Order: sequence, then C-alpha cells, then structure tokens
Amino acid sequence: MRAKKKKAELRKQETDNKVVTIYGNVKGNRVPSRILEEQIQQAVQEKARELHIIADGQHGIGGRIWPRGETVKIVVEGPVGQRLGSMGMSGTEIIVKNSVSDDVGWLNCGAQITVLGDVTNGAWNAAAQGILYVQGSGGARCDTMTKQNPRFEPPQSWYFRDVGDSFAEFKAGGIAVVCGVNPRNPKNILGYRPCVGMVGGTIYFRGQIQGYSEKDVKLLDLTPQDWEWLKANMKPFLDAIDRASYYDELTSSADDWKKLMAYTPQEKRARKWFKMSASEFRKNMWEKEVGQGGIFAEYLDHDLTLLPYITTGNDRRNKPIWANEKYAPPCAYACPTHIPSHKRASLIRQGKLNEALELVLQYSPLPATVCGEICPNLCMQACTRAHLDKPLDIDRMGSLALDLPAPKKAEPTGHRIAVIGGGPAGMSAAWQLALKGHTVDLYESSDKLGGKIEQCIPRERLPHQILEKEISRFKELGINAHLNTKVDKGTFDEIYKDHEVVILAIGAHQPRKIAFPGSEDIVSAYDFLKDINMGKHPDLKGKKVVVIGAGNVGMDVCSEAFNYGAESVTAIDIQKPAAFGVEMEIAKAKGTQIVWPKLTERYDKNERKLYFKDGSSMDADFVVMSIGDVPQIDFLPPGIHAERGWITINENYQTSDVKVYAIGDATGLGLITHAIGHGRVAAENIHYLISHAPRHPEIKQVIPYERIRTEYYDVCRGDFPIEQEANRCMSCATCRDCHMCEATCYWGAISRVEHKDGSYEYVVDEEKCIGCGFCAGICPCGVWEMVENI
Amino acid sequence: MEPASGIRLDHNHKLSLREFPYIIRWREDRCKRCGKCTSVCPVKAIEPTVKVQRVVKSEGPVPTPAAVRSITHVVEQVTDMERYCTGCGTCTLVCPNEAIEPEFNPQHKFLHYKNKGGDGYKRGGRRNDPSISTLDRLKFTRISMLTDPALDAGRHEFRVRSLIGRILPPEELPLKMVNGKLVVDKESRFIPPVREIFPIMIGSMSIGALSPPMWEGLAMGVAYLNEVEGLPVVMASGEGGMPPGLLRSKYLKYFIIQIASGYFGWDEIIHSLPHMVEDPAAIEIKYGQGAKPGDGGLLMAQKVLKLIAKIRGVPQFVDLASPPTHQTKYSIEEAVAKMIQSMSMAWGFRVPVYPKISGTKTARAVLNNLARNPYAAALSIDGEDGGTGAAYNVSMDKMGHPIASNLRECYLDLVRQGKQNELPLIAAGGIGKKGNLAANAAALIMLGASAVAIGKYIMQATADCFGDEYNRCNLCNTGKCPRGITTQDPKLYRRLDSDRVAERVVEVFKAADVELRKIFAPMGRSTELPIGMSDGLSIDDQAMAERLGISYAC
Repeated sequence: MRAKKKKAELRKQETDNKVVTIYGNVKGNRVPSRILEEQIQQAVQEKARELHIIADGQHGIGGRIWPRGETVKIVVEGPVGQRLGSMGMSGTEIIVKNSVSDDVGWLNCGAQITVLGDVTNGAWNAAAQGILYVQGSGGARCDTMTKQNPRFEPPQSWYFRDVGDSFAEFKAGGIAVVCGVNPRNPKNILGYRPCVGMVGGTIYFRGQIQGYSEKDVKLLDLTPQDWEWLKANMKPFLDAIDRASYYDELTSSADDWKKLMAYTPQEKRARKWFKMSASEFRKNMWEKEVGQGGIFAEYLDHDLTLLPYITTGNDRRNKPIWANEKYAPPCAYACPTHIPSHKRASLIRQGKLNEALELVLQYSPLPATVCGEICPNLCMQACTRAHLDKPLDIDRMGSLALDLPAPKKAEPTGHRIAVIGGGPAGMSAAWQLALKGHTVDLYESSDKLGGKIEQCIPRERLPHQILEKEISRFKELGINAHLNTKVDKGTFDEIYKDHEVVILAIGAHQPRKIAFPGSEDIVSAYDFLKDINMGKHPDLKGKKVVVIGAGNVGMDVCSEAFNYGAESVTAIDIQKPAAFGVEMEIAKAKGTQIVWPKLTERYDKNERKLYFKDGSSMDADFVVMSIGDVPQIDFLPPGIHAERGWITINENYQTSDVKVYAIGDATGLGLITHAIGHGRVAAENIHYLISHAPRHPEIKQVIPYERIRTEYYDVCRGDFPIEQEANRCMSCATCRDCHMCEATCYWGAISRVEHKDGSYEYVVDEEKCIGCGFCAGICPCGVWEMVENI
Repeated sequence: MEPASGIRLDHNHKLSLREFPYIIRWREDRCKRCGKCTSVCPVKAIEPTVKVQRVVKSEGPVPTPAAVRSITHVVEQVTDMERYCTGCGTCTLVCPNEAIEPEFNPQHKFLHYKNKGGDGYKRGGRRNDPSISTLDRLKFTRISMLTDPALDAGRHEFRVRSLIGRILPPEELPLKMVNGKLVVDKESRFIPPVREIFPIMIGSMSIGALSPPMWEGLAMGVAYLNEVEGLPVVMASGEGGMPPGLLRSKYLKYFIIQIASGYFGWDEIIHSLPHMVEDPAAIEIKYGQGAKPGDGGLLMAQKVLKLIAKIRGVPQFVDLASPPTHQTKYSIEEAVAKMIQSMSMAWGFRVPVYPKISGTKTARAVLNNLARNPYAAALSIDGEDGGTGAAYNVSMDKMGHPIASNLRECYLDLVRQGKQNELPLIAAGGIGKKGNLAANAAALIMLGASAVAIGKYIMQATADCFGDEYNRCNLCNTGKCPRGITTQDPKLYRRLDSDRVAERVVEVFKAADVELRKIFAPMGRSTELPIGMSDGLSIDDQAMAERLGISYAC
C-alpha cells in the first residue's frame, strides 16, 4: 500500500510537467502489460499529454485513451507487443520509433499511429477510423476487415514500401496507400492474392503487382480527384515518417499509380455468371470439334430445334379422328342381319319417317313378322339405352313397316340363282338377290312360303295375316317361287346345272327322336305344331301332356297343348331348360310345369306313364318329343359335305361345293332372325362372287359400351310416338350431328363441313388442334377417336 | 362367369381410385377445359369425359318438385392400372389455372395390382424408399477452429481433386539417380496410367437410356467444365457406345467409356480407335448395377431407331438385351484379369481400366482380386440406391447393398493391406438422393472413396426429372418421359434443351465444388482430399457407428 502511494505521488509530480516517461522494464523486471496499461491510463487521467513509453513487449500500448478535446501524444520505443494502439481513439497520436509487432492499430477508432519501421502481420485489422503511417513494409493480412462508419472520416493506412500476402481481405472501407518504394519484392508490392472478399474502400498503389481477386475488385487508373487527394495527403505522411524528400518522386506522375476498388453489389449482380454461355460454347468449341449440329445431328432427321409441351399439327403426340360409323352400334351388331336401327332413328329424327321404315326392307323381307312379332329382338337386348331406362322400340319399327310396298329392284343382271327352300332363310336370300337384280328361282316343297314360320309358330304368337301380308309383298318382287316342288336327286342336278349358284335353305324338317321303349307312341313337336297350323287340331281335353325337351319349341308345344284342352302340361329336360323369352312366358302363364333333370327310360302307352332313369315316373296321356329337328339331306350329291346331319359351310356360307351355299337351320338350329341374317350375308357374298368382286361384306366391330356418353340422356318413362322414340336412340358409333365436339373444342379446331351431296363431316384444323382428346372424351356417340400421331 | 341374364355388370372387379398411388385433384371451378393437361399426360391417366348432375328443387309454398339436370365436360382420372397416374405432374405444369394436381396417396395398393399378364412390375428410377439414407445421417463433426489450421472456403485456395488409376507406393516408384538428379526410370517397370479428376463424376447412363439432348447436354457440360472452368469432371458413357464425332474429338479425354455384357457400340468404338486424337479418361467394365443387381438391361425395339442402331452397331427395331452376366467370364480371377488386359491393351496400357460392380457382400472378394492385379486401376461399387432406366421393381426395391458400409469395409480391407492409397475406390448409389450432393460425396470420401459417381441426381438437377422415391413418374422404361430425358421420341425429347442441361451441369459442379470446400475447410483440408478421414465423421446411431468404424454423436 505504501509503495503504491509513493509511486502515485511520483507520477503526479511528473504529470504536472505534462510529459511522463513510463518504463516497461524496471530494474530488469518486465512490467506486465496490465500494469503498464494502468500506468498509462493513470498518467493521462492525471493530465499528462505527452507520454514516453520505453516498451518491453507489452500488449496493446497506447490504445483506449478516451478523447478529451486535446491531443495525447505517445512516443514509444523499444520492443512493442502485439496490437499497439488497439481501439485507439481520436485525439491519440502514437509514434513508434521502431518496427512493431502484429495487429498494430487493431480496431482503431480514430488514433493516428506512425510507425518508423515495419509493421508485421495483421496491421490495421478491422480499423474503422484514424490513420496509420508506416515507414517500412506491412506483413501478411494487413488492412483486412477495415471499414468506414458514415459518422466518421474513413480510416487511412499508408505504407511507404510494400505489403505482404492476403492484403485487404474483406476490406469494407477506408483508404490504403502503398507507395512501393524500395519494395522487398519488386515484382509484387501487394503480395499474393490481395483483396479477396473486399467489398469497399480504395487501395492506391504504385508498382508492380501479380494479380488480385478479380471477382471482388477492379483495377483502375486514378481520377484527377484521386490524384489531388493523394498529393495533398502525401505530404503529411512523408513528413510523419521522415521521408519528405520522396515527395517529388511519389507525386511526379499519376500514371505511376493505380487503384483497386471493390465492385459494387449492383456490378456483381449484373455480372454474367457464365464465362461463356452454353450456346456460345456449343457454337465456338463443341461443334467445331464434334461436328456441325452436335454429336447426334447426322442420325436425326428432324429439325434441331425445341418444341413446347403443347404442340399442334405434326408435332402433336395424339390426334383426333372423326371415325363416323367405323364401329357397329350394339343393335346392328347383335342383329344377325345387321339391320342398322340407329340409322332408322336418325332418319326419323330428320323427319324422314318413311325412308326410315323403308330402310328395313333392304335388310329383311319380313320385318313386321320377325322384328315386330316373333324375334326375341337381340338388337333390343343389346341396346345401350337398355342400361339407362329401356331399349329403343325397335320391334315397333319393324311392325310399322308392314304396309310398305316392296322396294324397287336394281336393273336385271341376267344372273340366275336357285334357292331351295321357302322358309325365312331362303326368302331372305331370294329377297336380297332379287333386289340386286338377279333372277331367282325359289323351290318350296309345300304349298306355302314361310317355312317354319308358316308351319310351326303358333298363330297366337304370330297373327297369320301379318305373315300373309309380308309374303304377298315378297311375291311383288318377281321371284320365281316354285311351290309344291319337292327337290330330289334328279331335280337337284337339274337345278344345279341351270343356275350359277344354288342356295340350300332347306331348313330342318326331320324331327329328332330318341329311341327308347315306347318312343314309337310319342309324337314329334314338328308334326304336332305343323298339324295345328295346317288345321288338324288334336283333342287333348282332360289329358295330361308331357313334353320332352324344354326349349322354345317345347314351350310352343306346351302352349298349344293347353289351347287344345290339356288338363296339365309338364315339360321335362335332361338339363337346365334352354327356353327363354315370350315362348316361355306364354307357356308358363298357361300353367306349364318345367321339371329337370329328367332322363326318360321308357313310355308305357297302356299305363300312360313315362318312366325316368332315376326311378320316378310321371302320368302322361300324351307325350310330345321336342328335342329339335335335323335337315333332310339325302338328295344332296356326295360332293356336298355334311357333319352329324348338318351341312358344313365356311364363314361365307359356302359348302364344300363352291357353287352351293347353305343357310339357315340346314346348317345348325338357330332363331328365325339367324336364318334371315344368313340369307342376307350369304346373298352379299354371292353377289360379290358373281359380280367378280371377290370381297366379303364388312362386319364391323361393336363399339365398346364405355364410349357412349349416356350421361347426356335423361331417364324416360312411358311410351312415346315413334318420332319421339327416335330421339331416345343414343346413335352409338354414328354421328348424330349435335355439334358437341365443335362446342367443346377450346381451340376452335373442329368444324362441320357440308358436302354437295348433302352429306357432312366434322373436320379438324391440324394447326389449331393440340390433341387433347376433349372431342373424343365428350362425343355422345363415341364417334371421335384419339390415335397416335405418327 | 356369365353375368346374370339380361344384366350388365358395373363395378365388378374395377379398382377404386383409392388403390392408386396418385389421385388427381381437379378443380372444376378453375378449369377452362383447354385440354392442355390431357394432351400432355404421358400415360393418358386423365381423360375428358361427361358428367351429369341432377338436383331436385322445390321452390313453391308446398312441395313443388322440379328436377334440374346439368351436363358438364370434366377431366377425370381413369381407374385402369395400365394407365395409372404416376404423379409426374406434367398436367400441373401446363395448366394455366392451377386447376389440376396429382396427390400422393399413402394408402395405395399399387404393387398388389401391378403384375398384369403374370409379369412383375417394371419401371425406371431408383429404390422407392423415402426414408433418410445412411449417407444423409452422416455428420461432419470434426470442426477445427482453433485446433487445426482453420480454413476459409471463401477466402483460401482449394484444389479438390482425386486420382483414378493405380498409384504406386513410394518404395515401388521407379526413380533413379542420373548425374546426381532424380529421374523417372520408365524402362525398369510398368507405370500405371493415372488421371487427376474432380471427385464427383457423372456415372454411366447410355445413349439409348438417355435421349440425344440429355446425353449431349451432359457431355457438353462436362466439356465446358474442363475447357472453360478448368474443373476436371469426367463422365462415363454407359453401355451404348459413343458417337464417332465425340470419339474422334479432343474431348474424348473427359469421358470414361463403358463396356458391358451387351458390348453395344464397341465395334464402332474400335473402328474409331485409329482416329482418336486423345485417350479416354478411363475404361469402365460393368459387371453390375447397384439399382438392379441380377437384372439386365433391355432396350425395347421401338426405341432402337436410326440413331441408336447406328451408334450401337445393330439393326433397327430389334430388342437389345444386356444380360446381367457376361457370357465369356467364369470366375473372378479369370474374368476380371482378362477384361482388364483386353481393355488396357486396346489403348496401349495408357488408359486406366477398372471394373464396376453392384454393392454386395462379396465386394471384398473382388477387391482383393484387384489388389493383386497390377493393371487394375480402381474398383467402382454401385450401391442399392442407384438409379436405372429400366428394371423389375423387385430388383430395384429389394436387391443390392447400401453403399456406405460396403465401401467402408472395402476401404478398411485396403487399409489392412496397406494399400489404401494405391487402389482407388469409386462409390455410387444414392448420392444426392435428398439433394445433398456435396455432403453425401464428402461423407463417402471420408469413409474411403476416392471419387463418387452420380446419375439420378444429375437428371433431376439438370433436366428437372420428376422422379422421386414415392415412385413419382419413373416412366424411364416406357420411353414416355415427359421431360424428354429418357425417351427416343423426338416429340418428347425436343422439349429438352441440351444447352440448358449443359449450363445446369456447370452450375451443379461449380456449386458442388464450393460446397465441398465448405465441408473440407473447417477440417483443415484444402488441397488433399480427406479420403478415409473417418475421424471427422459421426452418426447418431450406435450400431451404424460401430459398423462404419466412426464415432457416435448425439
């Protein structure tokens, strides 16, 4: 305590003189940096305004002297420690009489520091104000992180000789001057890689350099203002470091000087990121080496240009096709005759009712009989509309055709064709061939046309006058119908010789029978039904009738049995009955029982019992066997093959004799509509054959149900006049000219074009269409189709 | 079975939308029905159709029903597995009104159904596993601020380079004193060729797998990086040959030519040999692909058009199969040795030749064979997270070995033999799976890789590939790539600008260079790659740490 007090008194005495000398080493003992700092601060507190420090490696000498409005001058000599003058404030003036250690002027806030020697590494690091004068050189990393606070003048650092590596890294402000006098490395006075990360401030230098951070700073000549500033400020610097004699040399020419300045953020942002654009590289380097157009050009046959994602014309990935009538609608497809009912509906919608009704006669001679009455109407079963509410009334369209006259025939061709058999198949074929202008000879063994329709269909299912009326229209066409003409071997040969083509439409008129004990006492369905239609009525009053075979013919038998007084009628079958539709409904309504499986063993006429293989039996006063009929083909020459009793044909209805065709039940049992279909399609084939146009009638694929947009149609209840009914038709696969596609196309690519003949089509402007598929997706009829655009 | 008589079946065996991996969210209120979405959908998963709405209103004071129907044209997703929405989002991209967007359906049962015709599901892309991979769990935990010289990635100079080729140990260097000077004695022994490269390379993707603009864009980017930026990035050709224009150019030195089991394009390469002005960077012999070990390649006939046929040296319109195994190779010793010999001989032993295998438990057996072969230049191991243009989903999802531990055990094996600085390991498979290209690469380097190869990442980063680990898009095998990356259909690939791809390659590699510096700087590495510097790595899983021989950090 006492010693401290004594020292303080001593210092007070000195401060009174305003000059204080402080020793960093007292009697060989180095004064710690902390104590020296205390002594300096104390001295200044005590009004000392000039301090002489004899240093001995102490840290941070001369910093942190708070401004007092007057100058505090500190003269230092001897070895100084790091960070001399750190955090120096304005008003402090430090003069070091020799070189200093690292970080001189660190975080300087206004002190003026003059070093009459070299400064080592990190001089002026983070200086924000004040001045550094260096008589010698700077070490590495001088002037790094310096700044300028707008409240103050920028910091200045002056180096008389040169500076070391990594100068001015991250410099953000302030002015550095490197005079380049007698540099240690004359080839590079700013050291290796100066100015990395420099964002502000200015460096004036004089002498050679070897590069700088080009991405951060730019090298410029001095402006007149720079030069004036430099000349003005050079003098006090040189005076301070005792080198005034160099003034003329250093200010002789602005051309000796250059300056480095940071790029502004705007300049950096505006800078091109790529040294060279890829397209320049491609043009000037890549293609010069690998060839024009690049490495693949020689293999590509398209333009070497870019395409957008949304393309038109040939560049579309998919394109729409107005595929009108490419597919068959389900009605026409399901109909064995392929009657285009959708077209009839379309004509009706156009107000052409008669044309619509007449159209059917191009396909069938018996529309009222078959479509209207006895056909199970496969067309209606398939009708798309059936899945919404109920099928289109196609049967009614057939019935409405009853009173129409026969259509006009084509001009006579001179070709002669024979049709053997006047049933539905034969009539259909004869009708078609006659319409096409061919001469047709039709041979029928009975006295009436109509075949089984005439002979076996119960009259209650088909009013006879309808059939008669249609047969009379059939006759209007001028077909040579040879009734009561049974064809045998001899007549067949003659017919064969006299005609270009012979069509066998002989039906199946030989009942099949299974032989078992008592089967001779059983009557066939064929004979049973035929007799009734011929007027020979059986008396079944009070009788128990059993019908073996529960198909649709069997059902007709059951109905007729009731009609003629049967007490009960039972149809038996060995398997699940094949009967369906109206036939079964009528039979069941009258009380027919159907029992299966029952395999008959024998019939005992006396017991009036039918015995089955399972041991059971059934009362049976009258038994009818209805297990189908087979054709009578014994008159045919051996060149016409048959298999298991049926005439074999190819897909064109041609038999093994190319001149002979076979259709209808003679080729296998089917519905009446099948027989009519055979007749039409066979006639088409024959027509092509004899016209030397060997092709086949086009059978279109059916349009998938999913393609019809049923959503457009509301559910309808009740019956409608035929005009309104036609509106219900969904016009599957056939354009209904509704303009929906035209309306939905966002790009206006679809338009309707009307041709001179009154027909129309919807067309696509390829240059507008992007191939989106809206037309295909929303077409009510499924007409538009998207295909790959190859 | 037949439907009940007279009845049409409706929804029987139809899949509900909920089974599908992506569900289209379409906003009727925004859609203007311009059809852009339906025109670009690569798989026709959406289509325009018609909907009817029916509302019954009653406005009177007593019940006065009136039904109002309205029909609208809509865009609808189809529920046909053959046309499933892949979630690519091209529809969203082109929609001017933000009216349509596929949404991932995490409850989907896609794989339950994607085996129609009795064949397994095939696709492109990579393993569908969106979880965080080992590579992304590795952390760089040795941060030297005061302990080692701290480096500043922005300020200091770095030279991130690696060596591919057999490196002779110091004692084997053929040095001799001549007149008091140390010189290389080229006569005394074979000096293996070595290339200095940037440690991230573009892995093998063939011409054929990639479209012309994609492949050329990558190639141009690589040439640019070398020529303009001085960054020695190399690219492997993939198995499908290379165009003569490139083979005969000075840029060939930036390319590694691959030979694989299909040998496609090799006769054309051999025809070009006398005209080559530069040697290729290396030759890669492909024995396996990490994405699909055991599954070969197949380029469908419809993709083998004039371009592919010419470059591969095959007729047009034929299926090109690359079987998963080579026919003329029967054992490790025999197979690898003879392939390396043949390929080295083709270029006068001036070009490094190395095999590439898929990640496998048997990798060390191959490695040890190579270690004994003085001509083996490296071993490339392709881990299970690698990508492919076409493979069975089962091969992609379930076959293969993760790269991290496979690479690590191979490296430690070399360490045990004292050869870790002699036989470089190249690692691939899942690098940049989550976008962390430099970090994944650095992690593998610190586990022991001399270089890494990338594929899927570069397609995503440079050509905006939609694919991800939720099986988004992944249509590479179908030739319907909506970005034009993996298709031979000019209508699609002309969407892709090779100049733009090249620019992105440059950006990607320059950025990776910056990021690698950012990782290596705090570890005090600026000029020497920290290969095997595993003390700088940690992981937050004890078992993984143990397996990789690194520290556990949490």
